Amino acid sequence: MKLQDPRPGKWQLFRIWASVGLQSFGGGASTTFLIQRAFIEKHKWLSIEEFMRLWNLCILTPGINLVALTVLIGKKLGGPWGIVVSLAGMLLPSATITCLLTVAFKQIEHLAAVQAVLRGVIPATGGIMLLVGLNFALPLIRKGYKEGVLYLLGSSVIIIACALVVILLKLSVIIVVLSAAFLGALFFSSRSDAPLPVKEQGEEQ
Amino acid sequence: MINPLIYFLLFLKASLFSTGGFSNLPSLHQDLIANGWAKEVNFGQSIAIGQISPGPNGLWVISLGYLTYGYLGAFLALIAITIPALLVLVVSAGYARIEHRAWVRGAMHGVSLAVVGLLLTVVWTVLHQPGVDWAGLLIAAGAFGLAFSRKVNILIILGLAGLAGYLLYR
Repeated sequence: MKLQDPRPGKWQLFRIWASVGLQSFGGGASTTFLIQRAFIEKHKWLSIEEFMRLWNLCILTPGINLVALTVLIGKKLGGPWGIVVSLAGMLLPSATITCLLTVAFKQIEHLAAVQAVLRGVIPATGGIMLLVGLNFALPLIRKGYKEGVLYLLGSSVIIIACALVVILLKLSVIIVVLSAAFLGALFFSSRSDAPLPVKEQGEEQ
Repeated sequence: MINPLIYFLLFLKASLFSTGGFSNLPSLHQDLIANGWAKEVNFGQSIAIGQISPGPNGLWVISLGYLTYGYLGAFLALIAITIPALLVLVVSAGYARIEHRAWVRGAMHGVSLAVVGLLLTVVWTVLHQPGVDWAGLLIAAGAFGLAFSRKVNILIILGLAGLAGYLLYR
């Protein structure tokens, strides 16, 4: 049995989350890593099994998975106040910096050099986003292989159909998500007795 | 004129029906453009700024909030991405009871598929920004390749892309 540190005070919890938020550049992978290092390895407040269980709940929750994870860990370590200080620590410093960077950008956006740099950066974010989509798709495709050709084909058709109806028909995103849930319940329910594929950590972006 | 309440509700709606940091983009894109409250370029700009700032990637909407509606917009966007996360408390209370029903798994699979499709529309939106030409598409392909290799830090990839942009379009 590992010895765990005494429960954190509010201020300590805030500081830990703030340092996680401020150190995570380039999205989810590094953030998940920092959370594991702080809460599992350093202070031993959570076991890895517990962490995975919380993470699976976050995948099922709307919005940013990492923010939901902040809520769950905050609640476990400090109750309602734990949630408040954890959210404040994770979001306020990094959101402030994001906002200030945008303010700075507004000041210099008219410069030709800035426009040129941005014309390079924007398509690059498109390429990175494509990888995010691929990371999301991989566990689904793997599951499709296991379940058979029809399952894989059905899954691919739904992915492409969702993309096309939004781009071409400008159909509302909510209608698309709800229809996909309905189709999923209709076509994929009987087959999957295996538990939900556990996403690899760090896929949340 | 922007109506602050409707503006906030649009951000909240986009966040409630998304999973992960970027899947709220298609909904925001549809609604803000339709209302004339955002310009096409704002989306590419805010995603680019979101990529270089610390914190979860989902914070790009803070940048979109500032670009479209100043400090108030950034603040409303922050509230809108915080509220849905609190639903995890409801999920953790209720999920244990229904997780074994077959239709829940099927529906979750359907939602995951929709999320992938919606992310493809994000890629489409970003690559259809004004000013993205064939060289831009090459930059996108290069960034994808470097990110796929997982050997190069995202910030370095963006730095290289910025340098390429500077040399090409200056």
